[in-house]
Amino acid sequence: MSVATRFEGLDTRSRVVGGVGSVLLALTVLSFVLAPGLTGSLALAFAAFVAVSVLVDEEHTVGFLLFVTTTSTVVILAFITVYLLVNAVPVVREMGLYLLYGSDPFWDTSANVYSLVPMVWGTVVTTLIATLVAAPLGVAGAVFISEIAPDWAREIVKPAVEMLAGIPSIVYGFIGFTIINQFMQQELSLPTFGSLFVTGFVVGIMALPTVVSVAEDAIASVPDPMRDGAQALGATDWQTTTSVTLPAAFSGISAAVLLGVGRAVGETMAATVILGNVTKLPDPLVDVFGNTITLTSLIASQYGNASGLHFSALFAAGVFLFVTVMALSVGSQLIERRMRRTLGGDA
Amino acid sequence: MSLGTSVDSAETLVGETSTTREYASGGLVVLSFLAFAVGLLGLFQYLPVDTSVAGLPVATLLGGSLTLVGAGTVALGVGSYTGALDSEPSHTGGLVSAGFLGLIWFVVGGLVGAQTLGLSTAWPVVALLTGLAGTGVALLAREDLGVTVSAGSFVLLSGVVVLSGLVGPGWSWDPESFSIVLTGLVGVPVIALFAGLVGAWTAARVYGGFGAQGRQTGAYVLVGTNAAGMLALLAAVVGFIVVRGFAPMTEGIRYGLFWGPVTWFNPPLLDSWVIVEGPIVWFYWPFVMEGYGLNTPIDGILPAIVGTVWLVVGAVAFAVPLGVGAAVFLTEYAEQGRFTFLVEISTNGLWSTPSIVYGLFGLAFLVPRLGNTPSLLSGQLVLGFMLLPLVVITSRESLKSVPDEYRDASAALGVSRWETIKSVVLPAAMPGVVTGVILGVGRIAGETAPILLVTTSSPFPSEVTNVIQGGFRFTGSFPFVAVPTVDLVQTSSALPYQLFAVIGAGLGENLDFAWGTALVLLLVVLCLYAVGIASRLYFRRKLNA
Repeated sequence: MSVATRFEGLDTRSRVVGGVGSVLLALTVLSFVLAPGLTGSLALAFAAFVAVSVLVDEEHTVGFLLFVTTTSTVVILAFITVYLLVNAVPVVREMGLYLLYGSDPFWDTSANVYSLVPMVWGTVVTTLIATLVAAPLGVAGAVFISEIAPDWAREIVKPAVEMLAGIPSIVYGFIGFTIINQFMQQELSLPTFGSLFVTGFVVGIMALPTVVSVAEDAIASVPDPMRDGAQALGATDWQTTTSVTLPAAFSGISAAVLLGVGRAVGETMAATVILGNVTKLPDPLVDVFGNTITLTSLIASQYGNASGLHFSALFAAGVFLFVTVMALSVGSQLIERRMRRTLGGDA
Repeated sequence: MSLGTSVDSAETLVGETSTTREYASGGLVVLSFLAFAVGLLGLFQYLPVDTSVAGLPVATLLGGSLTLVGAGTVALGVGSYTGALDSEPSHTGGLVSAGFLGLIWFVVGGLVGAQTLGLSTAWPVVALLTGLAGTGVALLAREDLGVTVSAGSFVLLSGVVVLSGLVGPGWSWDPESFSIVLTGLVGVPVIALFAGLVGAWTAARVYGGFGAQGRQTGAYVLVGTNAAGMLALLAAVVGFIVVRGFAPMTEGIRYGLFWGPVTWFNPPLLDSWVIVEGPIVWFYWPFVMEGYGLNTPIDGILPAIVGTVWLVVGAVAFAVPLGVGAAVFLTEYAEQGRFTFLVEISTNGLWSTPSIVYGLFGLAFLVPRLGNTPSLLSGQLVLGFMLLPLVVITSRESLKSVPDEYRDASAALGVSRWETIKSVVLPAAMPGVVTGVILGVGRIAGETAPILLVTTSSPFPSEVTNVIQGGFRFTGSFPFVAVPTVDLVQTSSALPYQLFAVIGAGLGENLDFAWGTALVLLLVVLCLYAVGIASRLYFRRKLNA
């Protein structure tokens, strides 16, 4: 059904309400973008229109308002995309591909040279370590909760995992900063304060609850008759889990891991606090105990004194992050969608 | 007696109650976990491996128990192979186990080749050979022999290495391309942790009598340890912060009960004040009632607490109407199609957008338009954007779980769609929506990155941001009443930012202050989570009952 035919299908009243309301609201949003001074009066006009309209025809007005709220997520996402991109344009124009494969010096604010190579490397290494921590432990945790645990254990572990998800990232960062960093320096004679390894490990712990809860949903959505079939053939519980449940939930579990990776990529405060945030590559490159910077901690540690091209370079880092995480998010959604289709139903 | 016979027959049906194999392997599982636990204590230097317990160094004890576990599992495997112990092994150890063991042996071979034998280029060959041997033995020999020999000899080797002092308290290793130096104080516990887990897994497999049952027992031991580890992690993080932060947080609390003036007023036509006296509870908690750097002996975090409250209130006021509205539209009005797909994609996209990206967006879009200064209002909006997808997702779930019968019954009475939603669907879905909002608030209350960019300025505020200015009062000019002005366009602190600011300023003398702040933040956030989780459990039970 095309937009035009849909519009034909609406009655006059919803056309009036929707039409006038949309125009007023669009004007309000537009004025906030272009001339914030006018926003107040336009918003007032919109509110007055809605108030009158509710009194005249509640049913249609509410329908229109609900539709407007639904578009809010799309609009916000669009605004984020546009503003990140627009602000990143100057540095891309200036530096070109040097942003992605620069060489030493990578990041020099006085000479206006910007390359994201150390940040991307830092993000990649911490994310890899975090995934190595979060993926196996998270999937094992999900298997425990949904397949193995007796009821009493499930009722302890499941809320505990959710509580783990609630611990703010700055608290993890604080613990990493005061305790783990000190431990690394004292017991392992690490010469610098902070390392990629500790950051990756802590970020992995932080991504763990995401992996557990999403993977658990995936495992729980495998229909019970599939399990019953395996058990009727005399398989043990563990055989059922490994040869029926986990393969059936495989795509859901990989979606969970992808989401966990997304969390790890975007984790900011732990990396900012734990890492030394030097804009150089570790030497040698494979030294996971070395110090560098991640895309997120670059923004958090340098936004304060940034202006001009430097400011724009931070937005380039933001775009890089945003695109990566968005790709992971969309990817995991497509996988989940496929899994739901193959398993049938929306159980 | 008939009771006894029935028990006996049941036992013979299932098998002997406990065989030698089960006793021996059960003991080895326990011993492995002991080594694991001591390894943990040793790693964190609570029980350094060079200290002595009962006359023996911890390292020797660890080495001894690992040797015992290794030798024991191999012996049990051989016993099972020769038929001395009864078990039900499969003809192979299984591909996954063999691969896993091969990996372990690959690492062992690599380390020995490169470090002990000092082979600079040929170590991959050694590693590959040992790896292949480890895999081959586990894969090709019958399960009871293959798995126990491959895994058991790894544990045995680890034990012997530690016991003989090859890797002892005095040992140190400086890996070439890494900037750390591994000493025995860390190396021995790491070996104990790893070998302990492998030992527990192998011994549990023996305990289950090999075969499908054995694999299940082995896997359950590992998965169970992992779950216990997560509980321990939560307990450790929370416990640690409570222990360190409790004293600074509660320092200087004073309270008392007084008899004093409660209220006083001047009655008309009387030239004196009437004073009503009564008991007054007096309570003073400096850490949460004072600012930083005032003339008080104890620095407090009141400005941060008030800032967080304002941020959360604003974010909820922004996100909840939008989020619930969107959820209602998606479940009650919209048909599945391109539009809902787009909304779903962007909702999930917003959910996974990194918090620092929200901060950048706020810095570029909101801050210049809202007074061109970091402000509470920008922070509220940005946190509202972050809360929005959470509210949409959870509200949608709970709206979906309202049975269609409710809607049908209402529609059958001739009630319109919106009336049905308003008076039937939304009330039924309310508990789920509220729970979702509480959990979401718990998440945004702990967010640092966005407010760092758009709200905060002073790292150690002494004064609370004065949002409501002037009170409700009567005035002399039209319209004779003045309402308080609400000024949200000012900077403010917030709890997570306060913690970040202390770290940034250098902990030094502020370390206790930082632990106290961390504890308050953790308490606020975890209380929100606990309330959210508990209410969800409560309503779910009520729904199922």
